[in-house]
Amino acid sequence: MSNELTDAIVNMHEEEALGLVKRMLDAGTAPTQVLEQAKEGMTELGRRFECEEAFIPELIMGGEIMRGISEELKPHLKGSGAGEKRGTVVIGTVKGDIHDIGKDIVVMMLDINGYEVHDLGIDVPQETFVEAIKEHKPEVVGLSGLLTLAFDSMKGTVDAISAAGLRDQVKIMVGGAPADQQVQDYTGSDGWGSDVTAALKLADAWTAGEAR
Amino acid sequence: MTATGEELYQQREQRFNDIVALKKPDHVPVIAHTIHYFADKVKGFSQREAGYNHKQHYDAIKDVTVEFGWEFVPTNALFAADGYQALGTTQLRWPGGDLPDDVGFQFVEDEYMLAEEYDEFLADPNGFTLTKIFPRIASNLAGFGQVPIPPLFWMANTYYLLNVGGAILGAPPLRKAIESLLAMSDAVGAYFAADAANAQEMAALGYPRTWGAPIVCAFDMVSDMFRSLRGSTLDMYRYPDKLLATIDLMQQAQIGLARMVMQITGNPRVFIPMHRGAGGFMSDEQFEKFYWPTFKGLVLAIIEAGGVPCPLFEGDYTPRLKYLAELPPGKVASHFDKVDRKKFKEILGDKMCFWGNIAPSVLCTGTPQQVKDDVKELIDLFGDTGTLILDCGLGVPDEAKPENMLALREAADEYGVF
Repeated sequence: MSNELTDAIVNMHEEEALGLVKRMLDAGTAPTQVLEQAKEGMTELGRRFECEEAFIPELIMGGEIMRGISEELKPHLKGSGAGEKRGTVVIGTVKGDIHDIGKDIVVMMLDINGYEVHDLGIDVPQETFVEAIKEHKPEVVGLSGLLTLAFDSMKGTVDAISAAGLRDQVKIMVGGAPADQQVQDYTGSDGWGSDVTAALKLADAWTAGEAR
Repeated sequence: MTATGEELYQQREQRFNDIVALKKPDHVPVIAHTIHYFADKVKGFSQREAGYNHKQHYDAIKDVTVEFGWEFVPTNALFAADGYQALGTTQLRWPGGDLPDDVGFQFVEDEYMLAEEYDEFLADPNGFTLTKIFPRIASNLAGFGQVPIPPLFWMANTYYLLNVGGAILGAPPLRKAIESLLAMSDAVGAYFAADAANAQEMAALGYPRTWGAPIVCAFDMVSDMFRSLRGSTLDMYRYPDKLLATIDLMQQAQIGLARMVMQITGNPRVFIPMHRGAGGFMSDEQFEKFYWPTFKGLVLAIIEAGGVPCPLFEGDYTPRLKYLAELPPGKVASHFDKVDRKKFKEILGDKMCFWGNIAPSVLCTGTPQQVKDDVKELIDLFGDTGTLILDCGLGVPDEAKPENMLALREAADEYGVF
């Protein structure tokens, strides 16, 4: 479905998108509807990223436009409640690794796609993942890392989740530039990805049938 | 008769140069491009020790180079931790700083220059670097931002140099910053001495060093060091002209630096770490506008100065192979992290040698047999021309299993003798 706001986001027209949001609100459009149209723009960018028609700059710029729109909508959305969530994800960069660029892009796109995301940050000890799983009861756990030291940290985290008796309750993905099938096998996780599309696909597949 | 160190050195240089020039060598060499902590880990030294005990670190590199059968000594990409410490560096975190002893140093990417500061930087890059960037990357250099320092040409005569310069230099924050720079220089001096001794010792044993110094492509310099991935990306849409003007300025700097380091190190091989031009990181249109022209210009400038550009393509550069075909054939030692090796062969097989591409995951967590299988696949693919150099995708991974690194060498001997 195409509309002006969606198009403005997809075409990276930041000022036009923000102007449209103001005009729509002034004209009495429901803020939830504005948000839906804006999210459609990001979903379309995600689709284009997957088929290599859009790239990281479009996702970052799209995310920036979304941030501006969310700020504009915030006062109007109070009490209206968020839509149904698609699933819950606990994610973080594993112990020893302080890189967050890739993880942050994944977090942004999961959030826009309707997931409740608990981002534990960088250099996250395995116990923190275990505690967060107990607290938030996610369907999906994302372990991110850029350095080769992350392989053992990821494996240790998966082992700790198993030792805590939580392994059957979650699906675990490992991600980052060096991730591949080898890393999935080594860590005993359920999936791997080196870009945001892979993370979304795995999360979608693992939460299929859940409320959306 | 066994070859002397000098003869081995010449043979190895010649073999490398032949491969770059697309001539078939007698065998496929194993050349680790870059090293961080692998040697220290093999020897049981901590990452912290590696950063501070320079001689121990370089001796470890010497030992693993010989033990694992590398034909060059990999350039050490670990800098002096006592240098970071003297500056109170905040742009990097390191063991001995606030990282644990067994974790390697890591770069902290941030917006060290804000979007609204482009004009100020472009108008006076030196002044901006001194008073804005230095305080942001190192806490002990804060004084350069705290004491009002006038443009230097205001003091371009004895009277004002004494009256203004003399007065400013007495300010304690400025004194501390200057003393920190001198302390850094002392620390780095000891590191350079160990580095030079290692180069000399390895050369005598017959091992050339892979590269002399890293030179960063102009877009990456802006994105990695000044504006961050997020900032530089937003600038493509919001301030494209300012971004391009800064890229132009960086290009002059990088070409100047490339010539300078070739002279200082006496090493013709210039390492270019390639970051944000990888597939997925920008569209072809953006690549053509913001990345490719300065990368190509840098490569050509290095070749013109008699050097060998050694770009290490981090990430997946498969979508960019078509551009690399524009570079002069037989002049570039291209090293790949993740790339479709068959596509490379198809598009660039007769234009450029192929170095690297063995997955870090396999070397760190796989078996010797997996390593051998991968080496065999590479040699099967490139054996007809022999324009292949074996290495991991990103130099030696710190966590590589020693038995896998030995398997790499063994597989080269088994499959790669022509």
